[in-house]
Amino acid sequence: MQHYIIMCRSLTYAQRASRALERAGIFASTTKAPQEVTKEGCNYGVKVRARDLDRAIDLIRNVGLPTGRIIGLDEYGRALVVSE
Amino acid sequence: MIYLDSAATSLQKPEGVQYAVIKAMCSMASPGRGSHAAAMAASDECFVCREALAELFRVPQPENVVFTFNATHGLNIAIRSVAGRGDRVLVSGYEHNSVTRPLRAVGAEIVAVKTPLFDTGAFLEEFERRLPECKAAVCTHVSNVFGFILPVEEVARMCRAAGKPLVIDASQSAGVLDIDFQGLGADFVAMPGHKGLLGPQGTGVLLCKNEAKPLLYGGSGSSSRIQDMPDFLPDRLEAGTHNVTGIAGLHAGVKYILRRGTSSIREHERALLELTAGRLAAAPGLRLFYCGDPRRQSGVLSMAPEGMYCETLGERLGQRGIAVRCGLHCAPLAHETAGTVDGGTLRMSFSPFNSAEECAAAADAVVEILKNP
Repeated sequence: MQHYIIMCRSLTYAQRASRALERAGIFASTTKAPQEVTKEGCNYGVKVRARDLDRAIDLIRNVGLPTGRIIGLDEYGRALVVSE
Repeated sequence: MIYLDSAATSLQKPEGVQYAVIKAMCSMASPGRGSHAAAMAASDECFVCREALAELFRVPQPENVVFTFNATHGLNIAIRSVAGRGDRVLVSGYEHNSVTRPLRAVGAEIVAVKTPLFDTGAFLEEFERRLPECKAAVCTHVSNVFGFILPVEEVARMCRAAGKPLVIDASQSAGVLDIDFQGLGADFVAMPGHKGLLGPQGTGVLLCKNEAKPLLYGGSGSSSRIQDMPDFLPDRLEAGTHNVTGIAGLHAGVKYILRRGTSSIREHERALLELTAGRLAAAPGLRLFYCGDPRRQSGVLSMAPEGMYCETLGERLGQRGIAVRCGLHCAPLAHETAGTVDGGTLRMSFSPFNSAEECAAAADAVVEILKNP
């Protein structure tokens, strides 16, 4: 996987998560997850590079934000749920 | 024009408000409706505006800052969340129709605390006496008619102690008085964006805890497969397309307030109130609603001329380019409480952009008109 999307509860949570990661020096962007891997449709998350995934999850949880599914994106942009 | 009607709508805005509105109109789409640059720019703008409002009002998290279209919209959400048919709801005797009409619409029984104008002690005593019989309370922070500052901190303390939900109408205080949402512990604080927050018309803010019933149902850009509104804020209460241009302008207004500080704005308006009231003391046959205590009156000054309709006085001032408001100001309950419901009042209300010269000229014009009716 090249990138991961850490799913968040809402767009606002995803924006807060992105800010927290940027403040910690991790490149992150708020993104809408592909419909086929979302449970409820139209969900947002924060997209990070593969190498930053574990640290990003820790940072997001440390600022008190819950995390949802982890979705992997391969080099062709295909999405796969890697963690519930 | 000398504009003294900021209690209705602030007309003079910080320069950045216009720029922000135009920029948003030219470059921003809708938040949560896509991942393209224009949608994300709108999402970012809404988010930073929420953050700025959370900072100004000490809201723990930006998601507890909900955008509405005005204070009335927010009050309708709040009132429908805390009251239903047959519930007794305690209100101050200085509420606006934006509180009393929604309460009536949901079938609640309104219990009004009607105590003398500017008498904080009498108000608190009566509020405490009536609270146990009521399910919830709604209290304005500042009377839009008289500028009477209600003791919302004590009201909130009583409601917390009694376990009663509290809604605060901050329509006249947001941007002028200090409001500590977390410290107050109120369930909802509603406010417009176009008055003291110096944003455009069509904007409003509802600060809320987690329990709230939606007023509008529709698309939220989130959880689209679920046919209920999302169970998380702010999405739960923000159905439909946001007023992004308005929110961008509101953000610019809030940034101005954060830079200048509410204490500086309040002090400026207090000085204008004192100056205006002092000059109006020379007006013959004018009943002035001025208490002389800045802790109990904000930058709103009502008056009632004898022997002349306040509408006539207002029209004469308008002919001289002085903008004021006359009548009941959509708050008949406040006039009933103060004993002015038959004739209403003429109201001058000040903004951070009014000058001492403007206020002196307006007061002198009132004196001159009343001396030469």
